Amino acid sequence: MKKMTVANYIIAGILVFIFLMPVIYIISSSFKPINELFSSTPTFFPIQWTLANYGAALSRGDFAQYIFNSFLVAISSTFIAVIINTMSGYALAKFRFKFDNVIMLVILSTIMLPLEVIMVPIFSVLKFFGLYNSLWALIIPPAATPTGIFLMRQYLLTIPDEIIQSARIDGASEGRIFFSIILPNAKPAIATLAIFSFMWRWNDYVWPLIAISSPRKYTLQLAIANFTGEFGTDYSSILAMSAISMIPMLIVFIIFQRQFVQGTVESGMKG
Amino acid sequence: MGKKVQTYRSYILKQKIVPYLFLGPNLLIFSIFIILPALIGIYYSFTDMTLFTFSVSDAHFIGLDNYRALLQDQDFIAALWNTIKLVVVTVPIMFTTSLLVAVLLVQPLKAKGFFRAVYYWPVMISAVVVGIIWQWILAGNFGLFNTIVKSLGLDPIETLINPRFAWWSVVFAVVWSRTGYYMIVFVAALLSIPESLYEAAEMDGANKLQKFRHITYPSLRAARLMVFILVTMEIFKIYPLVVTLTGGGPFDSTQFTVQYIYEMAFKKYQVGLASSMSVVMLLIVTIFTALNFFLSKRGENK
Repeated sequence: MKKMTVANYIIAGILVFIFLMPVIYIISSSFKPINELFSSTPTFFPIQWTLANYGAALSRGDFAQYIFNSFLVAISSTFIAVIINTMSGYALAKFRFKFDNVIMLVILSTIMLPLEVIMVPIFSVLKFFGLYNSLWALIIPPAATPTGIFLMRQYLLTIPDEIIQSARIDGASEGRIFFSIILPNAKPAIATLAIFSFMWRWNDYVWPLIAISSPRKYTLQLAIANFTGEFGTDYSSILAMSAISMIPMLIVFIIFQRQFVQGTVESGMKG
Repeated sequence: MGKKVQTYRSYILKQKIVPYLFLGPNLLIFSIFIILPALIGIYYSFTDMTLFTFSVSDAHFIGLDNYRALLQDQDFIAALWNTIKLVVVTVPIMFTTSLLVAVLLVQPLKAKGFFRAVYYWPVMISAVVVGIIWQWILAGNFGLFNTIVKSLGLDPIETLINPRFAWWSVVFAVVWSRTGYYMIVFVAALLSIPESLYEAAEMDGANKLQKFRHITYPSLRAARLMVFILVTMEIFKIYPLVVTLTGGGPFDSTQFTVQYIYEMAFKKYQVGLASSMSVVMLLIVTIFTALNFFLSKRGENK
């Protein structure tokens, strides 16, 4: 038994190395001066630490603008997602109406229709509605996520009908019931949805790729990907941008680790 | 009395309308940005639409010509076949690694939360950055990878300029970045297996392997199906990671379907042809998903 446990720790330790080492290496590389970046005998940590790559990144293109765009998109899209997905989840959990099952089925089946399959016609639709090359195209359409609706529905099913009924008898309007009873009671599920939504939007590449053309409207991910092709092997600022793009996710992850695990378990959360 | 009936009637009416109001914003977005594009895409696939066709009415209906053309398009067939190979190779590897890591995490271990968090962390990194991380480690004679190889006294290996190595590095990068996600799915499933089953098996003198084969593995059926379907869909959609890891090269060895369709539409401007390719891709994804269901159902009946 003892031997078994020691073996477990050894394997667990090796896995820590495999999962963590690449991330630490790219961050440590982002602090290396140019000559060390392209040295023929690279070291794991910089011999001489420098912020030069971050300076280079900031002076390249509109780096601050990309960070701002990413935050703007991720936060506003998440805000909308929370409101409209909770509304839909509420309708599907607490009302019986003619097409409820059909609508549920349609919503769930859209999971099977990934953006990557419809990106060409999406481009036309965005153009038609004047959303092409607008950050709104990254905020509004992705906010309606089938998995978000499903997550909210599953959670709202656990709220007792009596609370809603007695509010109705007291004469509360449906809107009021939603804002003052449903929303506050759904806090744990909302937290899960919010952090997943933030992650999806922050890390997204395909939506910005289809919807955005002018560099000033790039998100961080789009900028990193485009600059990789454009500047070939010039990695100094790319490394710094990549490191910076991970910071918000790291903070969110450290604070909300529980919700990520819980959310993955509950609904197989997929953007 | 009459008033009461009226309020009741308006209550019933409200109950009929209210849910649609709550569903409204979502359904509107779904209709405009998912269902409408899907229908438009099918329509495009029968036309000679290009990116420069300014209105849909200028496009000509050409029947099945696009579908005939894509069957002739060796590069498309190659990209599609390459993707199917990637699915067939990656799905079982991802399945095995995430299940094994999950099994490790349900063993008695201290600091379990720490291990779980570390293994999950790559899931939070965008595919674009995952590609950059591994490109930075693998590429060239002076990357970290070849530095380690050389320090072992070996000659440096051709990495991302070698088609084979590049292809496998895509597999590796995907598995590295997504194992943590499916690990969590399996951990939850493992923890829901009743302890009493294992106790009974122990009394019958079952060893560890027997317990895994006869209790653990069969109990994971639902989680297995979910993981198979999600990974299959994920690999079919692969693109952002490839953009920064290999760019599709060398010699198109890591060019997969989505990239090919994207370039057909936005670099070669063949919207109609690209749409027919999307339809074919969707059909194949659906077939694979149905196959997963079918095989898992059959396993159940055995």
